[in-house]
Amino acid sequence: MNLMVVAFKDLKRVFRSPFALVMMFGAPLLIAGLLYFAFGGMMSGGGSFNLPTTRVAIANLDQPNPSEGTFKAGEMLIKFLKNEDLADMLKITMVPDEISAHSMVDQQQADVALIIPANFTQAAVAPEQTASVLLYQDPTLTIGPGIVKDLVNHFMDGFSGAKIAVKISESAIQKSDKQADPGLSEKTAKQYADYLGNSSHAEALHIVSPSGEAAQTESRSAMIGPIMAGMLVLFVFFMGANGAQSIIREQEDGTLARLFTTPASALTILGGKFVGVFIALIIQTVILLAASALIFHISWGKPLSVFLATLSLVIAATGFGVMLMSFIKSTSQTGPILGGVMTLTGMLGGLFSNGIPNIPEIMDKIALTMPQGWAMLAWKLSLAGNGAGTIILPILVLTILGILFFGIGLTLFRKRFI
Amino acid sequence: MIQKAIQVQNLQKCFGEFVAVKGVGFDVQQGEIFSLLGPNGAGKSTTISMLSCLLAPSGGEANVMGHSIVREAQAVKASIGIVPQDIALYGDLSARENLNFWGRMYGLRGGILAKRVDEVLEIIGLTDRQKDRLDKFSGGMKRRVNIGAALMHKPAVIIMDEPTVGIDPQSRRHILDNIKELNSQGMSVLYTTHYMEEAQELSDHIAIMDQGKVIACGTHDELVKMVGELDRINVTINVEAEKVLADWQMTEGVQKVFAEDGHLTVLAEDSNLVLPHLFESATRAKVRITSVDIQEPNLESVFLHLTGKALRD
Repeated sequence: MNLMVVAFKDLKRVFRSPFALVMMFGAPLLIAGLLYFAFGGMMSGGGSFNLPTTRVAIANLDQPNPSEGTFKAGEMLIKFLKNEDLADMLKITMVPDEISAHSMVDQQQADVALIIPANFTQAAVAPEQTASVLLYQDPTLTIGPGIVKDLVNHFMDGFSGAKIAVKISESAIQKSDKQADPGLSEKTAKQYADYLGNSSHAEALHIVSPSGEAAQTESRSAMIGPIMAGMLVLFVFFMGANGAQSIIREQEDGTLARLFTTPASALTILGGKFVGVFIALIIQTVILLAASALIFHISWGKPLSVFLATLSLVIAATGFGVMLMSFIKSTSQTGPILGGVMTLTGMLGGLFSNGIPNIPEIMDKIALTMPQGWAMLAWKLSLAGNGAGTIILPILVLTILGILFFGIGLTLFRKRFI
Repeated sequence: MIQKAIQVQNLQKCFGEFVAVKGVGFDVQQGEIFSLLGPNGAGKSTTISMLSCLLAPSGGEANVMGHSIVREAQAVKASIGIVPQDIALYGDLSARENLNFWGRMYGLRGGILAKRVDEVLEIIGLTDRQKDRLDKFSGGMKRRVNIGAALMHKPAVIIMDEPTVGIDPQSRRHILDNIKELNSQGMSVLYTTHYMEEAQELSDHIAIMDQGKVIACGTHDELVKMVGELDRINVTINVEAEKVLADWQMTEGVQKVFAEDGHLTVLAEDSNLVLPHLFESATRAKVRITSVDIQEPNLESVFLHLTGKALRD
């Protein structure tokens, strides 16, 4: 059967072409792989990431009044910052005065200088007094000083809350004509300090990352799946057009005219070339699906859904490629048209915006004006584990579009050659 | 028994207003080599494109092995092998793979195909290079594979469109010897060329084409007789030809003189008798003759005689 003779000859040539092999398999896997390692690297190590340690120079100028007993708010703050839970984040250095603290920051020996004022303890226990902790930071840094500031604020908020609570309690006691305990403020502040010192506050909130290899893999798969699907659709459409381009190339090389001198009909010859493109795209899709499942652990979905999505993708890509090439007169035009049209329709079809959060809803609607958008929808639904019943709409749309495109392309090619 | 391999009657081809082939007619007998000789643009390639069913004629009729090119295109295609002017092969396939493919397109399969590929590789002398990709071959070797592809199905008629253009003398010699060998095995050959020597060496019959028409047709000897037994004297002088043209045309024994710039071509009955008069005339006109070349009557003379211009034009 001459149709298959032509088809297999084209297949042999495609799989011998380094360019075709790179575009069929290398480029989609490489691009998806780069994205995989870029995002996957951030997710490695149990779901956490490391911040650089912030160097903090502390000048504790706090001078508690001996009448306030053993309570020293400044030391409490230092103890809080030296908590072993924060040891990876903060490196504390004690300095005798404010000038030394500033000097360490200026000489880049510290990232932040923390100056605890002399009335810090008094302000912590006396309802009417206030005190300001001074933060002096390296202006080129943002995250480390921000963390120190938040920790100090957190500590200070506790004292403020305690003072409010004491004030309300004293007011309530006075209204009931009873005598308030004169050491109430100090006791409350101490209790709060003990509370901080025990670090039991941290137990109120648990942040849990997916644990175990399976859960981590599932998370990566969910992220890389749509990205790989975008690359799959992009490069299958590209190769569809590139394959159909061989008709133009054969015309220029004179082999098409020679084929027309054989007893095979022109329709058989053109049909053979289209079948060659179709089979090449099937092979490309199957290999990309299998390779990405193996390398990136992507679960493409239920077998029937994957089969239908593959078939409709290849029909649409073949039809689109044949139609696109039927408008082209010479191979000198194919480069810009192939690159331009595939990039533009791919962008509109949403192939490059997979994995980007908060894409406007209108973009999803625009994507469905392109065959690539429908192909992407079919693969997203399949990746989500949907059955054939759910993805039937994009499958049907893709198939109908593919047949329509193929009809237009074939009509134009027949006019040219037959 | 079909007597004529190809029969062409009043064949015409128009491309819009332009008439490329103007009522061409000739017959190719079975087992002969028939050449279409003419300059570029004479209509040779258009004629063979119609004979190989690539172009539909605008008028007239032609039969190949008894099949009409208009009504029985498939049968015509099955009985001919085409060697296009340009290399029409796949450079990324080996010589063997190319021959395999073209054999399959003519319905050969399995052992028969493999055997025929071996035979053709032997004919074109590339058995030892059969596994090499074609794009590693020299131009001459590619042309040999180009011919080989047309031989795969053992066609009754082989149509060759200037198969020796742009190749080295060794490959050219190989191809011409191949054609003679194929012809000796009974294959009819329609050969187009603008090389007079090739047509002269190969052909049983020659049709000379110019501007879409066959202007002369016959055997080599028949064509040469059209210009009589005239010698052709090519003379180069150091000034414009007009200075001696009128005098030379009046010289006894001179039949015709064609002039262009400083070159003159003189058709004369006997160059030995005419040449002294031409030298005397040049001396009188104070013109210096810088070169003289005398040729026996040939196809070039015929073309010049019929069209007033050289074949290479």
